Amino acid sequence: MLKVLLKKQLSEVFRNYFYNPKTNRMRSRWAVAGWFVFFAVVMVGVLGGMFTALSLSLCPGLAAADMGWLYFLLLGGVAVVLGAFGSVFNTYSGLYLSKDNDLLLAMPIPLRTILCARLMNVYLLGTLYAATAFLPALIVYWLTAGATAANVLGGLLLFLLVTLIVLLLSCLLGWVVAAVSMKLKNRSGLTVLLALVFIGLYYFLYFKAVDLIRDLLQNAAVYGAQIRGAAYGLYLFGRVGEGDFAAAAPVCAVLAALAALVWALLRRSFLRLATSHEKVGDRRAAKTARARSPFAALVGKELRRFTASPNYMLNCGLAVLLLPICGVLLLLQGRELGALLETVFAAAPDSAAVLLCAAVCLLVSMNDLAAPSVSLEGKSLWIPQSLPLEPKTVLRAKAALQLLLSGPAALLCAVCAAAVLPGSLAARGLLCLTVALYSLCYALACAAIGVRMPLLTWTAELVPIKQSGAVTLALLGSWLLCAVLGGGYLLLGSSIGAVAYLLIWCVLFAAAAALLLRWLDTKGAAAFAAL
Amino acid sequence: MLNIEHLSKRFGAKTAVDDLSLHIRPGEIYGFIGHNGAGKTTTLKCAVGILPWDAGTIRVNGVDLRAEPLRCKRELAYIPDNPDLYDFMSGQRYLNFVADIYGISAALRQERIGKYAALLELTGDLGQPISAYSHGMKQKLAVISAWLHAPKLIVMDEPFVGLDPKASHLLKEMMRRHCDAGGAIFFSTHVLEVAEKLCDKVAIIRQGRLVKAGTMEAVRGDESLEAVFLELEAE
Repeated sequence: MLKVLLKKQLSEVFRNYFYNPKTNRMRSRWAVAGWFVFFAVVMVGVLGGMFTALSLSLCPGLAAADMGWLYFLLLGGVAVVLGAFGSVFNTYSGLYLSKDNDLLLAMPIPLRTILCARLMNVYLLGTLYAATAFLPALIVYWLTAGATAANVLGGLLLFLLVTLIVLLLSCLLGWVVAAVSMKLKNRSGLTVLLALVFIGLYYFLYFKAVDLIRDLLQNAAVYGAQIRGAAYGLYLFGRVGEGDFAAAAPVCAVLAALAALVWALLRRSFLRLATSHEKVGDRRAAKTARARSPFAALVGKELRRFTASPNYMLNCGLAVLLLPICGVLLLLQGRELGALLETVFAAAPDSAAVLLCAAVCLLVSMNDLAAPSVSLEGKSLWIPQSLPLEPKTVLRAKAALQLLLSGPAALLCAVCAAAVLPGSLAARGLLCLTVALYSLCYALACAAIGVRMPLLTWTAELVPIKQSGAVTLALLGSWLLCAVLGGGYLLLGSSIGAVAYLLIWCVLFAAAAALLLRWLDTKGAAAFAAL
Repeated sequence: MLNIEHLSKRFGAKTAVDDLSLHIRPGEIYGFIGHNGAGKTTTLKCAVGILPWDAGTIRVNGVDLRAEPLRCKRELAYIPDNPDLYDFMSGQRYLNFVADIYGISAALRQERIGKYAALLELTGDLGQPISAYSHGMKQKLAVISAWLHAPKLIVMDEPFVGLDPKASHLLKEMMRRHCDAGGAIFFSTHVLEVAEKLCDKVAIIRQGRLVKAGTMEAVRGDESLEAVFLELEAE
């Protein structure tokens, strides 16, 4: 029975390689091969290459100092973090939110078999992530320190232990997310918050990595002694990679005990968590009966759609948070950045105002929530079409939400930039105006692209949000525009000065916004009505 | 209340509805029957302004649907065969959204939501997300949203699918009361017994063409509606 479930599970995991999620049809042989090659390049080439470089920077020094255990401890830790955090959301949804919960629970399948099959899925994904970090580390160690039967076997055993730790951590984190989600009304908010924490942590470590490695290599002996003294278990863990089988025995025993505990926890709570995730009510909503205008109701509906989906928020609205953060960072370090830009591009006076304006616009481009909005209507399209609503009102509401979320955040960021930048007051004022007009223009453009390139036949919302032509066009087009805005000044615009240059862009954005609004009200509305 | 004259609708080379004419008067429950793919849903979607049509005219309460779609839509309500509502909203929020679109005052919506939700036994579930609703609960919510703005014409596509016997019974009573108060109902169904007992008039459609229409007595004569339907299908 487990084999049958595993087969089903794997066919689901690899379905996107064989089927096009947009059309729900089988891909051609070339397309399938292309997907596998792309995946291999990303996992082995990009991620594997990154960790090979990291291993090469750490291994020679630590191996020479006879501190291979510290090397394995560090790389093992990196692999655990990558594997566990990489698959935590997959664990939550894969273990508890599967659409076939009812189907499988109604069949004569033991609960442990269902759980086992799903855990295998989690294990495979975690192992995939962990392997990209740990296998290069192993190979680099064997090449640097020399491969012996003991350290090869020890290394492979350590890899298995790392994957087990990844599985245990993923399960525990997934369990915590599921348990907390049950109590919360706004589960999407939690998911977004956790994702942002992970993203923030990732970038923090990424930018600090060089300093951390340098510090570690310079003080390896000190840190090594501290770890050995304070956490002997971690020392034993690292020793396994060097082929110390006496160290492997207690490590394996502890992990086996932890695995048994986690298994017991999951088995006890699985049924309750898997069958109760939809029952969190909205008590406040039951009391709400405030009358609003149809337009406000539509904007409210769009906002609810946005906040109900972590995928939508993370992929199409991240800049709502990033823009104010960047504004604060600009207040703190913008003066230095402005001076640096003015020095580097000394040939183009006031370049800092224009380049920062382009940078803020680029950030605004991350908020493209109106682009997939028409597609997200999906099977509910009959509602706006059958209600007494003008199609243009529906489209305007979609653009309005994007503008409401992007505009104030973008303006705040622009004002922060203008406050600390060198240059004339006019240039700084125009920076803010350009950003505001760009936000308006981009919101209208996204709505226009969305209605021009709708994708209503999706089965997973991630398809219109992430993989649709509308989103791709909105993002690529806006990036290109921002590049032209910034690069154009350095190439040509500096001859007329920043004020005149930004003024021209303001006029262009205002004119484009007027044209787009007119298109939305006429041809766009007709296109929406005809969907 | 609803006048459909010479309606034709094509999807590419396929003619889904062919020169169809129907008149539904105030106070009438009008049943629309036909085999799968006969053109019922297409006709209903055209009648509520979701689908554009190729030829013919549709008037709702004397107003041309093509010329004044919004005016017509304010007078009618539509319940599709598969109520795909906004899963990301709670039932209450969805009803508030619909009420906002129709401009129903806070007091009136509260009264109507309370009344219909209590009648269909959905009050306790209105705070739940629609994603947690069963098909029947979504259908009940769609019914409440349709009745919310007191429309003159209600168009329904297979409204009894997914409803439990009690809810079906209640919906039939609501339909009758609505028509007794001067409204009209146009609905499609495959359940011929329901059509026979409930409808004042009935129309049978086959391959996009109207093959028989009129009062229940005139259509079925001395036979059952099922027998008439099967005879017409066999021709």
